[in-house]
Amino acid sequence: MSARQQVLGINDNYTERYGFSDPEDYFLKAPKGIDHELVEMISRKKGEPEWMRDLRHKALDIFLEKPMPRWGNTEMLGGIDFDDIHYYIKPKGEQARDWDDVPADIKRTFDRLGVPEAERKFLAGVTAQYESEVVYHSIREDLEAQGVLFCDMDSGLRDHPEIVRRFFGTVIPTRDNKFSALNTAVWSGGSFIYVPKNVKVEIPLQAYFRINAENMGQFERTLIIADEGSSVHYIEGCTAPTYSSDSLHSAVVELIAMKGAHIRYTTIQNWSTNVFNLVTKRAHAHEDAVVEWVDGNIGSKLTMKYPAIVLKGERAHGEVLSIAFAGHGQHQDAGAKMIHAAPNTTSRIVSKSISKDDGRSSYRGLVQMARGSRGCRTNVECDALLIGERARSDTYPTMDIAEDDVRVEHEARVSKVGEEQLFYLQSRGLDEDKARLMIVNGFIEPFVKELPMEYAVELNRLIELEMEGSVG
Amino acid sequence: MHAAATAIPGEDRAAEISRLLGEGGDLLGARLAAHRDLRTAALPDRVRHLWRFTNPAHLLPGDPAVPAPELFASVNEGPAAARVVLRPGAAPHVTVSPAAAAAGVEVAPIASSTDLDLQLGDEADGSPVLFGALNRALWNCGVRVRIPRGVTLEAPLHVRVEAAAPAVLPRLLVEVGEDAEATLVEEHVGGREGTRVVARTELDAAAGARLRHVLVQRWSEGVHGHLTARARAGRDADLRTTFASLGGSRAKVELLSDLAGEGARSEMRGIAFGAADQRFDHHTRHRHLAGRTWSDIDFKAVADGRARSSYTGLIRIEEAARGAEAFQENRNLLLADTGRADSIPELEILNEDVSCSHGATVAPVDPEQIFYLQSRGLAPEAAVRLVVHGFLAGALDRMPERTRESVLKLVTARLDGWKGAAA
Repeated sequence: MSARQQVLGINDNYTERYGFSDPEDYFLKAPKGIDHELVEMISRKKGEPEWMRDLRHKALDIFLEKPMPRWGNTEMLGGIDFDDIHYYIKPKGEQARDWDDVPADIKRTFDRLGVPEAERKFLAGVTAQYESEVVYHSIREDLEAQGVLFCDMDSGLRDHPEIVRRFFGTVIPTRDNKFSALNTAVWSGGSFIYVPKNVKVEIPLQAYFRINAENMGQFERTLIIADEGSSVHYIEGCTAPTYSSDSLHSAVVELIAMKGAHIRYTTIQNWSTNVFNLVTKRAHAHEDAVVEWVDGNIGSKLTMKYPAIVLKGERAHGEVLSIAFAGHGQHQDAGAKMIHAAPNTTSRIVSKSISKDDGRSSYRGLVQMARGSRGCRTNVECDALLIGERARSDTYPTMDIAEDDVRVEHEARVSKVGEEQLFYLQSRGLDEDKARLMIVNGFIEPFVKELPMEYAVELNRLIELEMEGSVG
Repeated sequence: MHAAATAIPGEDRAAEISRLLGEGGDLLGARLAAHRDLRTAALPDRVRHLWRFTNPAHLLPGDPAVPAPELFASVNEGPAAARVVLRPGAAPHVTVSPAAAAAGVEVAPIASSTDLDLQLGDEADGSPVLFGALNRALWNCGVRVRIPRGVTLEAPLHVRVEAAAPAVLPRLLVEVGEDAEATLVEEHVGGREGTRVVARTELDAAAGARLRHVLVQRWSEGVHGHLTARARAGRDADLRTTFASLGGSRAKVELLSDLAGEGARSEMRGIAFGAADQRFDHHTRHRHLAGRTWSDIDFKAVADGRARSSYTGLIRIEEAARGAEAFQENRNLLLADTGRADSIPELEILNEDVSCSHGATVAPVDPEQIFYLQSRGLAPEAAVRLVVHGFLAGALDRMPERTRESVLKLVTARLDGWKGAAA
């Protein structure tokens, strides 16, 4: 391997850092496969109200009836064996609010991943989900006193049924797509957040998702409601062990930003490369609201994820800032959707992707402007960097414009690391690898600077990994 | 999905058109073979974006064996190396200039199954098999043009396709020999309510050849048509495509360019101007199959009234196409709040040694430009007309003079019908 190929060895040491697995010791591990019996069992175990149980059963019918997508990487998608997945695994122990009460083996896992350390340093609240259930949860007392609700989705349904019933599935209906139906049928865990009017949560809330078992399906469900004039920043991170057979992660995330509210949702997805990551994320932004998706896709085998914002109220603003890294065997099929359904709404999409070795990254996006949405503006920018002869990059943007008084701009560029840039940096005394790294860091900088500092440091570190051995 | 088969004229109609054209040799056999493919071909998948904007069922032709009446009165359209008129159910009407004839340019009817296509290679992706097979089985007028190596034709080759019958299935095959140079003007005219056109043009530019292809569609109202032009550029060949879509009620246009030889180039410039309820659906595809190939597409669409322009464009750079450069632009101007534009400019890049970019915009006429022109004394509507003319000028400039004049006349007539921003 040439020095050049070693540059950007993102996740080359994944197995050792995140890819470890713990011995399986579960309270309940549902047998493989999905049917109404399983759905009934999940719902009963959770002691859910009638309406949720009915919704799950209906969703299962829709999941079974809907065909697999006929677009995207149909070859990889065809590799999913829905009968070979454990849809529900409940770890031992009850949900803890004190880190010391988390079962020792699970605690070790999250200690290794640095979750409690991160909480101490810079988070206002944390939930940690292990397989299907949230095992640890905490929130700062001052936020709780202001009426901020932050808990796992199951507790949310139990303790705040009126809010959950009012909003659950209103942004992403069950029928939206095959995987949203699957999630609705077997969802477990995820976060529920409600921020009352005019409350500003200044410090981020975080959830950490961990898959441990082989052939596991994780289907968390997240619902965030920011009431009028409030603001919140939510961060999620994901990892899994490296197994030879595949796991499935299929989340549904619904955000509702009421009038004048501000939600920022940051994801650093670093699943092992045997995880199918098929996620539906969508937000409603009401009048004067701002919704931002900051979306980092580093891991997984195949990711299909297109965070969407429906700009429903006048002057709402949406942003998607995403970065994808596709290494050997990976396909990052990511993008964004902006639906301008009200006048004077604005949006911006910035997508950066790096394809390395035979990795493939695709930007797939939609910008829609309905008739009557006058004075809207959107700007889409896609940049792709290719490293390696067999690297692949695709850009699939769709613009559907039914209003004349708007401004829509889309731009994309695909390039390799420029020989001239390299030459210039080398002439300044940097060796080739350092020069290359500097160019890559410059390329992703607009993304990194939007991350909280600790995450930015972590991402930079990921990108620098393997650099040490590549010099000389 | 095979519902298409029931809506497609049977093989007896293929036999009838063969008889009508007085076909000899094995042409009928080729028609029947293509017709067998048709029976198993599905309509294109509307879930996929390439057919999201046009229902293929609306483009299926009726009986191709209804011959056209008399030739339209010929008009003097300036100098030409050759002039061809294609009418459904009739042999091509051909005149070749003495100079072109002396240089060995052949313009002749399609006479045998080996004449039927140019073997341009794998067709997959953009162009659906169904319409390709339809034309192969049921084409009802056609011509084959050969330009010998090294020949430069100063005047254009002019092919006019008259949509003078309910079903019009022209087949146009053009080979440009090594280092030869030519301009082909392909003009689609005529038609009425219910007319269906399924046209197929194949262009082969050999090594070092230079071919300019000008495609003008100015059907009458009520025509639905599907135009496909497939081109292959050999080593260092230079293809320049200019297209203008103005007429008909529904038009699906597919322009497919394969850069097959090292150093081949393909430039496309196109305009569409829709008004009333017109629907235009344009697809362009550049496949870079060899190293150091270059392509550039710039498509500008104007939609007035309730017109809708949809554009899907693909640049695909294969692994072997190292050092390729590709550029893609699509700009849309909406003149009325009932107009609509869709744009899907796509890139698929399979090797790192490329330089590639694309851009797309949708916007109304820039008020600042209007303000500026008004400050110079122009009435608001005249200012808008000037801006639209400017918007379309880049493509029009690349047409031969006579063609440009006729297209400009149509654009101007359209703009005269424009009611103004306040309407």
